[in-house]
Amino acid sequence: MRPLLAFSRGVDSINAAMGRVADWFVLLACAVSAGNAFVRYGISYSSNAWLEVQWYFFAGIIMLGASYTLFRNEHVRVDLVYGMLGTRARIWVDVLGIILFLLPATLLLAWMTWPFFVDSFIRNEGSPNAGGLLRWPVKLLMPLGFVLLSLQGLSELVKRVALLRGEQPEAEVVVEYHRPDQ
Amino acid sequence: QTAPEVRWRCASSFPRTLDTIYGAAEHVSRRVAAMTDGKFQIRVFQAGELVPGLQVADAVQGGTVECAHTASYYFVGKDPTFAFDATVPFGMNTRQLNAWLYSGGGREALRPFFERFNTVSIPCGNTGAQMGGWFRKEIKTVQDLNGLKMRIAGIAGQVFAKLGVVPQQIAGGDIYPALEKGTIDAAEWIGPYDDAKLGFNRVAPFYYYPGWWEGALNLSFYVAKPKHDELPPAYREVLESACRDATLETMAKYDAQNPQALRQLVAAGTQLRAFPREVLQACYKAAFELYDETAARNEAFKKVYDNFRAFRDTQFQWFRVAENTFDNFVYFQHAQEQRGAAGEQRR
Amino acid sequence: MVNVEVMPPLMFGGLVVFLLIGFPVAFSLSAVGLFFGFLSIELGFFTPAYLGNLPLRVFGILSNDLLLAIPFFTLMGAILERCGLAEDLLEGTGQLFGKVPGGLAYAVIIVGAILGAITGTVAASVIAMGMISLPIMMRYGYDMRIATGVIAASGTITQVIPPSLVLIVLGDQLGKSVGDMYAGAIGPSILQILLFVAFIAGVSIFAPHRVPALPDEALTQRGWALWWRVLKGMVPSIVLIFLVLGTIFLGLATPTEAGAMGAVGAAGLAVLNGRFTWALIREAMGNTMRITAMVMFILIGATVFSLVFQGVDGSLWIEHLLSGLPGGQVGFLIFVNIFVFFLAFFLDFFEIAFIVVPLLAPVAAKLGIDLVWFGVLLCVNMQTSFMHPPFGFALFYLRGIAPKEVRSADIYWGAIPWVGLQLVLVAIVIFWPESVTYWLDRGTGVDPSTVRIEVPLPEMPDDDAPPVFR
Ligand code: NA
Ligand code: NA
Repeated sequence: MRPLLAFSRGVDSINAAMGRVADWFVLLACAVSAGNAFVRYGISYSSNAWLEVQWYFFAGIIMLGASYTLFRNEHVRVDLVYGMLGTRARIWVDVLGIILFLLPATLLLAWMTWPFFVDSFIRNEGSPNAGGLLRWPVKLLMPLGFVLLSLQGLSELVKRVALLRGEQPEAEVVVEYHRPDQ
Repeated sequence: QTAPEVRWRCASSFPRTLDTIYGAAEHVSRRVAAMTDGKFQIRVFQAGELVPGLQVADAVQGGTVECAHTASYYFVGKDPTFAFDATVPFGMNTRQLNAWLYSGGGREALRPFFERFNTVSIPCGNTGAQMGGWFRKEIKTVQDLNGLKMRIAGIAGQVFAKLGVVPQQIAGGDIYPALEKGTIDAAEWIGPYDDAKLGFNRVAPFYYYPGWWEGALNLSFYVAKPKHDELPPAYREVLESACRDATLETMAKYDAQNPQALRQLVAAGTQLRAFPREVLQACYKAAFELYDETAARNEAFKKVYDNFRAFRDTQFQWFRVAENTFDNFVYFQHAQEQRGAAGEQRR
Repeated sequence: MVNVEVMPPLMFGGLVVFLLIGFPVAFSLSAVGLFFGFLSIELGFFTPAYLGNLPLRVFGILSNDLLLAIPFFTLMGAILERCGLAEDLLEGTGQLFGKVPGGLAYAVIIVGAILGAITGTVAASVIAMGMISLPIMMRYGYDMRIATGVIAASGTITQVIPPSLVLIVLGDQLGKSVGDMYAGAIGPSILQILLFVAFIAGVSIFAPHRVPALPDEALTQRGWALWWRVLKGMVPSIVLIFLVLGTIFLGLATPTEAGAMGAVGAAGLAVLNGRFTWALIREAMGNTMRITAMVMFILIGATVFSLVFQGVDGSLWIEHLLSGLPGGQVGFLIFVNIFVFFLAFFLDFFEIAFIVVPLLAPVAAKLGIDLVWFGVLLCVNMQTSFMHPPFGFALFYLRGIAPKEVRSADIYWGAIPWVGLQLVLVAIVIFWPESVTYWLDRGTGVDPSTVRIEVPLPEMPDDDAPPVFR
């Protein structure tokens, strides 16, 4: 279990760092968007590049932030039944859910989105809009995000299995679930 | 030998609400089924149902759908050469574009290009000449274009940008309120029949013509190359003729519907305006500069462009003789008569 | 041999089962999709290549710039919630209305409406109003259930009053402009506020002891001092309303950008009020990031589900199911609203908007139902999903901040009359479509057949010059 828990700590810290990057993307997306409006209104200048940067950041928030959100246990659940379960049963739901629900999807999507990025990269695909941005950076976010999410899934799995085996993982594990703010 | 069962899914780039364009794919689907006793079935999905409208080229290229219905210029970001399969600013009119694609070597010129994307492109529908879009203020001189914020995509946006227009590809749902409040000054869509449904006339009074960037928009039926190759020859013929039929069908529908729609728009307060000649000339010059620049760095583009331009030259020569002379005379004569009739009524 | 017709209902059944297990919704949705996807490949309904559409759909979600409004409005709400601006507004208004029976409840409704015109997020409204007014209402003898109910309900008004995330998402799903959706929502917003006020008025007449007036000693300020306080509390709100709505009206910002304007403005106001701290912004950013990622991953999960659902002809199944309903438009609307109302018990509005609405919209369009009307109707209906005991988000927030002596049962029972009021509103909007369409644009009344279009003609040469060939 020890090396696995070390792996888990490593993943947690990588995704915490990615989460911080995604935090900043929120502020940057906001600043760029407000800036676009001011500049367009003020000096009748603007460009599709700056409009596209907004949703590049948006894509970054989602793809880089989802794994940290998983770490914080903040992906919303239907807690009709889950809310009545004890801690051990909840851990079991998570263990099975990660193996049967999460990992198949994230691994499949990571595998599928990779060639999609590669094709765009090789062809040097640009934007169909005048003055727009190259597309591969935002397409790279997809395989990257799904790999990070798969890793976080493994990390959460390791921590929960350790808990079930009566070991206290040193890595932080969030078992308590709060419905997120909305 | 019995005909095999073939079932395809067709991803349209258009929403169902664009009934004429979207209808082209449904038309193909109906005809193909009818001509094969229901053996060859194509089910059409509107934009977003299978894949988003702008992702259909990727879907066909990857073989994740068998076919798609789209306008090739959506993919000029991948390669500007795509535009010739749809339309380019100051290109040809509907008749001429069809002549190039069907009988003038256009499809042959584009075929190797599409093979790089694992795609066979079949002409399938046409909008005819489009309108130039909705403007909040009048365009009287080339200087009026400077700083004009317009939602316009693709090559037309690049041409406009050369003259100081600020192309703004804002979110689809934002166009209406942004045009209403003057956040943008202009937006373009298709022609009266489709434009009326968006209600832009309520927020931008001036409706400009012609849409010089879309003198005719050819729509395309994309088929994944391996799927096309394995199609029985008879079915290939069936698909070809169904697509040809759709071209006639869409053209006829638009020509029948647009006049009434334009009257309705004018009745609702829309003010028709022609782009001034000076503006058109500046745009024309900018467009052909852009093609030369693009051809200088893109081999595929140059190849198709040379073919396209040579054909256009001969077409223009011929069309000026009988077609244009006939058109000009009857429109002129008809207008004179109407004026006379209106004058008599007044008396 | 399994027939393809049984797949869509099986998928819905599977959806309920998978979601009830309690694993995160995003991944449960994709799991249902993949489970039935592999089953369909096994049964020959489609090939593995068909699943290859998934990356394209995911990219479509990431590149949907309309959804940018989600992080913007969430950030604005997160800053507002943390810097105490909403509290200022509420305290002043509470004092102003305090001496009438039901006064505090009216204040909560009005403040809920004002906050609603600034932001589109329920959390900020409910938490702010709950923290300030619930203790006051309890202290002065308000019936616990009335107090919790009015706070939860008023906090959800923001979903119908523009700007609103629900309307943005619904407009996108229905293919209607956000402007039209906002215009259509004006009537129902006003009706809703009137209904809420009328309910409190009714209570104050028939059971005045449940909503007593504030005693004199509670009114700390009077006359000019009070008015000054109210005004001061209102200034930040008015500034924000201007930043969000005003910048749209001035043509300065698109509706999406207006959300960003509001977020920047909220941060600016926090600075002006001396409540700005770096920690506050960091916390708001982090919170916004996680909500955005969570919401968008529900979409990604839903797209896996709906790709497979389309692959087994699910849209045909829904169409047959819904188009066979008796009663035409009204029959369809009543059925759909009952359907959505019950779905709202265990799905929240994002899940309904992304999974169910795309299936309903084509049928509604086919029946000739105005999609703006339809969207606003669904929006009003889905507002109940925030108030459904025991799983409504608004109730959950309230539970989180309410003092210990408030029992969960009070919160749940308190919500029920307001869910009822909401259903009355749904009925009004169904049977009185003008409540929505009145605010939409109408024509000029000119008869198109009388229109003459004169286009300048090309010059006709007087002499027929002979063509020249070289
Ligand atoms: Na156009
Ligand atoms: Na609102």
